[in-house]
Amino acid sequence: MPITGVYFIPSNPNASTALPVITERIRAAFPNEELTPIGRWGLEQKLLRDTQGLLPSSNSNKKPSNPRYMQFLSLTHYPTHGFIYTSEPEKPIPAPNQNPNQAVPGPANAIAPDHSPSPPMVMTTIPPSSYGTLFQHFTYACQPFWSHRLTLTVPNGIVYEVGDFRVRLGDVRQTFPTARVRGTVVEIEWCGPSVVEAIPVDREDGSFDVGVGAGGDCDVDVGGVGIDLASSAIEESDIDAEYAATASLIREFWGRLGVEAREAILIPNVGREVKDRLRRWKKAGSGADTKVDRTGSVVGERAEEDPDPWSGADVARQFMEVLRFNR
Amino acid sequence: MHEQSLFASVPVHQHHELLQQLAGLTAMQPRHCLERRLIFKAYRKPGMAGRIGASQDLQQGDLQRLNKMLNGNMYYTQVVGPVSESDFGSTAPVDQDTQMAGMDDSKPYDPSSPSYDYERQPWKLEFRDIPEAGTRSAVTSRLMSSATLPRGDVVEAMNAWGYHFITEYVVEGDMFVLNDIAIFLHRVLHYPGGDESNLPRRQLPALKDMALFEKSGSYVLQAFTIVQDGSNQETMKTASQHLFGLREQLKSAVLLEQADRLSLDTRAK
Repeated sequence: MPITGVYFIPSNPNASTALPVITERIRAAFPNEELTPIGRWGLEQKLLRDTQGLLPSSNSNKKPSNPRYMQFLSLTHYPTHGFIYTSEPEKPIPAPNQNPNQAVPGPANAIAPDHSPSPPMVMTTIPPSSYGTLFQHFTYACQPFWSHRLTLTVPNGIVYEVGDFRVRLGDVRQTFPTARVRGTVVEIEWCGPSVVEAIPVDREDGSFDVGVGAGGDCDVDVGGVGIDLASSAIEESDIDAEYAATASLIREFWGRLGVEAREAILIPNVGREVKDRLRRWKKAGSGADTKVDRTGSVVGERAEEDPDPWSGADVARQFMEVLRFNR
Repeated sequence: MHEQSLFASVPVHQHHELLQQLAGLTAMQPRHCLERRLIFKAYRKPGMAGRIGASQDLQQGDLQRLNKMLNGNMYYTQVVGPVSESDFGSTAPVDQDTQMAGMDDSKPYDPSSPSYDYERQPWKLEFRDIPEAGTRSAVTSRLMSSATLPRGDVVEAMNAWGYHFITEYVVEGDMFVLNDIAIFLHRVLHYPGGDESNLPRRQLPALKDMALFEKSGSYVLQAFTIVQDGSNQETMKTASQHLFGLREQLKSAVLLEQADRLSLDTRAK
């Protein structure tokens, strides 16, 4: 999972899109780079909000509570799954069979402590086949508490490679409830060597694929850079440091363009899946035999198995952070 | 998607014979299935519904729309995961690091003692609406959806989505397929020792300790077809006609009929 940063430039009456400006600035800032598109990309986001915010009484009588969101995001560069990011319930659910153990949201994140006023969010990834089904389910069966507010798409994004970075640019269009232009979004992906990429992806059977899939689809060959570390050599603090260092590289890159934008890089929970993966790897390394043999169990159900269900979770968070328009 | 079904009750003494008959009819060996089924209930903050009074902020039309939305139905829904016989009565994978909140999947493994790893349990969200009322056709027809969820613990995500865990049970049965009809001969098993747990179990008791929900041990035969586009009257009709065809073929053995609509009510009050 590469380290990324996402920028969003809202459209204004003078310029509905910042696309030409950014392209021109990249050309000017990196005169030695040949700026030819290497691909296309696209995005779709559906934003749902809890219905409480719709009530007229909630903004007059009492203090408005923090809105809760559910965001569906699909990215063409992570075609094996869609992302659902949902605000946690504010307090433990007052169910008749309440459980005290459930209240703990997750490990505190050292990269970017959560200072945001809205409740922390839960990331889920699901296969593409379930993405639309679940969205329909929530709009049909959960009407009293989830309300579909927005659909945004980036229909025709462009991908450039600039030095050690891969840059994805695109115009954000709102398609629901009314069609309008919202702005321009830019994803900057660090393609250089990274400790994060050295952590192998664990397969479904519990074994680890060293080097496979780790480099994403970047042309800068991570495997060839020579990062070959034992699991004991990487600590969680190294990952935090790596994210911080890469974030400053991305910020420096963006700074050279001189375009004002909303930034999402070190947002809450970024890097969480990478740390989880590191923990699993360390655990597997500590055991003598990492092979887990679960043969014979429901082969048919594995047809749509995702090799790395958590890939792209960071960039998904970043996109959803900048595209979480408050309405 | 729509599911059209016919049901029959099968006494336990007829079970073996019917399995043979179905194997003959469908020309396939029964596919034995065991499923964990978790029941979740949609949750809404108390005092949300019916609170909208007259307000200057809202047009009358908006108000009606909003009221309709907020007072819409909420549902129970199931999260279903396939398990195998060896998962029952087995220990959790050897793992001392109980503090770890994430997924702990790969660990030393002793092949002589099978283990059940809850963190790797696949799940599907299975939603069924209340059967449609007043259909002229004599089959149970209901809106359905089925979506794959991530492996492992689904409770955190389900809570965030607005559902809380109620209880769970197990279904054991055999599946057959005949053209576009799936035939599921099954019964419900309850966990032994009451229902004190507030979370899905991380370990499963031995299968022989599971209690029969229906004390006589009888089975339910469900024959169903899934129609992708429920608004297409033509395909819906074809599907129910196929079911009626099966009903005729099995007439001498069992009586397949429409289920009582309200007994399949999934709405949460």
